Amino acid sequence: MMRDRAGRPLTVLLLASFLSSSIFTPWAAAVEKPAPVATPEETRRAAHALSRLTFGPRPGEIAAVASMGVERWIEQQLASQSINDSALQARLAPLRILKMDPRELVETFPPPQVLKAVAEGKMPMPRDPVKRAIYESALANYKARQAADAKNGGDAQAGPPEMMEADQDMAPETADRRAQRRAARGKAEELIALAPQQRFDSLLKMPPEDRRMTLRSLTPEQRERMVDGLKDEQRETLLALVRPQSVVAGELMHAKLVRAIYSERQLEEVMTDFWFNHLNVFFNKGADRYLTPAYERDAIRPYVLGRFKDMLYATATHPAMLFYLDNWQSVGPNSMAGKFSGRGRGRKARQRMQPMQDGEPPPPQAPRGLNENYARELMELHTLGVDGGYTQQDVQEVAKVFSGWTIKQPRLGGDFEFDARRHEPGSKTVLGHKISDGGMGEGKKVLELLARHPSTARFISRKLAMRFVTDEPPQALVDRMSAVYLKTEGDIKEVLRTLFRSPEFWAPEAYRAKVKTPLEFVVSSIRATGADVRQALPLIQTLQRMGMPLYQMQPPTGYSMKADTWVNSAALLNRMNFALALGNNRMRGVSLDHSLIVRGTAMPTDPEDALTLVASALVPGEISPATRATIRKQMDDPQYNGGQSVELNLGLITGLLLGSPEFQRR
Amino acid sequence: MPITRRIFMKSGALAVVGAAAIPSFLTRAAFADGTLGGKKKRLVVLFQRGAADGLNLVVPHGEPLYYRMRPTIAIPRSSVLDLDGYFGLHPSLAPFQSLWDAKQLAIIHAAGSPDNTRSHFDAQDYMESGTPGVKSTEDGWLNRALGTLEAKKKDASPFRAVALGANLPRTLSGAVPAVAINNVNDFGVGGRGAAAAGVSGSFESMYDSSVDAVLHGTGKETFDAVKMLKAADPARYTPAPGADYPRGRFGQSLRQLAQLLKADLGVEVAFADIGGWDHHNNEGSVHGQLANVSREFAQSIAAFWTDLGKIGEETVLVTMSEFGRTARENGTRGTDHGHANVMFVLGGPVRGGKVYGRWPGLDDRHLYEGRDLEVTTDFRSVLSEALTRHMGSADLSKTFPGFTASRPGLGFVG
Repeated sequence: MMRDRAGRPLTVLLLASFLSSSIFTPWAAAVEKPAPVATPEETRRAAHALSRLTFGPRPGEIAAVASMGVERWIEQQLASQSINDSALQARLAPLRILKMDPRELVETFPPPQVLKAVAEGKMPMPRDPVKRAIYESALANYKARQAADAKNGGDAQAGPPEMMEADQDMAPETADRRAQRRAARGKAEELIALAPQQRFDSLLKMPPEDRRMTLRSLTPEQRERMVDGLKDEQRETLLALVRPQSVVAGELMHAKLVRAIYSERQLEEVMTDFWFNHLNVFFNKGADRYLTPAYERDAIRPYVLGRFKDMLYATATHPAMLFYLDNWQSVGPNSMAGKFSGRGRGRKARQRMQPMQDGEPPPPQAPRGLNENYARELMELHTLGVDGGYTQQDVQEVAKVFSGWTIKQPRLGGDFEFDARRHEPGSKTVLGHKISDGGMGEGKKVLELLARHPSTARFISRKLAMRFVTDEPPQALVDRMSAVYLKTEGDIKEVLRTLFRSPEFWAPEAYRAKVKTPLEFVVSSIRATGADVRQALPLIQTLQRMGMPLYQMQPPTGYSMKADTWVNSAALLNRMNFALALGNNRMRGVSLDHSLIVRGTAMPTDPEDALTLVASALVPGEISPATRATIRKQMDDPQYNGGQSVELNLGLITGLLLGSPEFQRR
Repeated sequence: MPITRRIFMKSGALAVVGAAAIPSFLTRAAFADGTLGGKKKRLVVLFQRGAADGLNLVVPHGEPLYYRMRPTIAIPRSSVLDLDGYFGLHPSLAPFQSLWDAKQLAIIHAAGSPDNTRSHFDAQDYMESGTPGVKSTEDGWLNRALGTLEAKKKDASPFRAVALGANLPRTLSGAVPAVAINNVNDFGVGGRGAAAAGVSGSFESMYDSSVDAVLHGTGKETFDAVKMLKAADPARYTPAPGADYPRGRFGQSLRQLAQLLKADLGVEVAFADIGGWDHHNNEGSVHGQLANVSREFAQSIAAFWTDLGKIGEETVLVTMSEFGRTARENGTRGTDHGHANVMFVLGGPVRGGKVYGRWPGLDDRHLYEGRDLEVTTDFRSVLSEALTRHMGSADLSKTFPGFTASRPGLGFVG
């Protein structure tokens, strides 16, 4: 079930059509030569395996996997590090945020509190001219917002920062503003007329206020021309000049889609998505806007086919998780910080602990006590499962254990820190085990205890089986996977190997048993058509409309993997509309070459044959006679056919196939 | 996938309407009444996801303990909008004041689920299924309730049950068709025009003939609803004067819901939700996080009520949230997961201007597990009353199996 409903407007998505067309080279078919013909049985198995271990087969891939042997291909995917993914790396290279640490992100794409510090002279203005321009623009923006807030009686000040950001754009349109906008658009045209390097240099030299107006006034079409011919880094700078924070969101989401669509290490991508969702953090919560890229990169991805306990430890100590589930503020009531807060020494400690607040008024008091949020979700959602046998008493004890696991300067992208002054002293009892007084070691022990608990083995195994087999996986399979989990100390690769070799995975009941999530649907559509994604933003927005915005599941449950969540009227209509837009090559930022779907095979003149060819290329497995008959009928409709090119017809066929009931499953 | 009850009912019990056939509900006099016993009765359910802090929404300002337990986040007496000398509204709920004064708004305090889970996920699930403690329930209480009202209706509108949002919530899932609508204005396939109609017809036909039980059922509900909505032409809509919906998803949801109700599409039950209530730290007091989301909540509901106008006379709106929050503030100027909460009931037939339920108090002896407000009114009692006295449900044994509402009831529906 979908549990989000954040209810807050998303403002990070101003991401630009600035992100470049040059990031993407045209689609290179993954599989070069037509493979020797495999048996129909092996082809069927290949289609099934590809539907489950990847984000959907690409043109020609089913035949290729069948011909190399499905078992061998699965082993290859399990050994993901040995797969050459250099083409993907080249696509990711321009996305600089992927390599930056959170401090660098905060510094390069300054959030409001850094700007405030600069405005108040508490932090220096950077010297580098490009960075300086970004700061100047953002400061102009920041001051404009301050002025607007003052006018609104300061009430907006109380709002969370993401809401304040939206207000700026929503200010009533006055005649004055309209005139300003017109002038700015005129200025923009002058700039666009310049050669790329000159244009970029002129932009940097403009007074910050003018630059801000000019860049904000651009129409989408002007924006495309404004960035045309610029280098990747220059494009990124331009975006940062408009809204620095959205660079981080934009590149992160962009990278997620690029990886899902183009990575050769598909199982690794599927598992990264799975584990991120399992150990969910919400991008839009304060500091997580800067911590999330590192979280996925450092705490999730390295372990997705490794040992669960390592991933658990990495997430437990990652600032993104500590911030998301509030543990960074948890203070043992009998700890030094707990006992002395609000008095003498405590005040000093507080200043050290909370260097800055995100547009919120300074807290009247430093944190004084425990926060149970992480402790509870650690057991309920990360390890044991809600029926895993823990009590409210355990939640409180675990909260004590993790008190003091905090973040140095979270708003500046700081690192994990164990603060002994905040740690609750004394021994604790967790799940009947005595955890003796031992500082940070207590938490390590508890993580070990949870990671090797039989409830965790069952909970994780069941969830994996739900992802790869069916919404209600057979208990026998879950039991066998759990046994392997316990025997191998949570070796995810071994648990998966057991799953992929199980009769349940290959059973007829498992065939097309899973309804695709919106992410799976969108990505599999792009992969099936071999389309070239030049801009990810339209896809990012599509996912948002479908109720699955990337990195923005607010509750810690993560997104549901079950059919009931994703099958409903609004969702189906969104899917059909996306399918039609993509099929007809009307999806912004994505180009479709229909000849790639059938990999250059000449289109048969007979419509029956043409349909057969396209359907078998796009949809893994067969289509029903009814689906076929419906599409066939539509092909003959004079409205679509009369005097129109075959191309249009192919677009329609593609759209109908991608929107068909068959393609909604994997 | 296993055949759930929902799928079985859909594929087995529903007549299949051919793609070309005009749905029978459309042949009735344009959007005929959808009546229940001669009157159009509607129930709107709003869910506050994330466990709203009921003690700061409807503040027991007459209880000194409240101020002692919440030194930094309590709402000062001077800021509380007093209701009855003991309870008062959070100042952000000011838009409720006039509804209270008009006796259209009732409050049930210390209401909630008897189950002791403090998991958002489980607690929401239990409330939405209507079966606390029972995980195997397949469908939602509101869908079952609608099922019991079905007898008289042969050509039911596809809009009988509507959820605003990209997904169908658990509350409304089940055997009775229910639609999820993200945006009323683009609820269709392929845009406008004749070409779009052809493509839409093709999709309808594909889903209609699909043997895929899940997709077949949803496909049919979808296309029925699309046709009906198209006929109602929702694009031409302006809210009633004075209905100022705030920006944000929740306000837009209610705006669209008002639109659907006013278009007379036969909506009987509707659902919308609002997130952002889980304030473990820096919850705020008169200002702050809770204040902001509460303002959005109250402004949206007040605008909705203004917008409904006369329709409100036959409408009851109920709010709920999965559990309340700890009576004491926690160490990070927020509150952790608790137990009882507050429910608001608004509507023409409501005997408002009163706080219903037994107030258990905040002293340690009466706190649930020594920390949370005790539940003295089962949330199902509140829903039962709305269903029987307003919607005319005769038998709730299917809606809330194993539960018997206390008699004579709270009496908030007159």
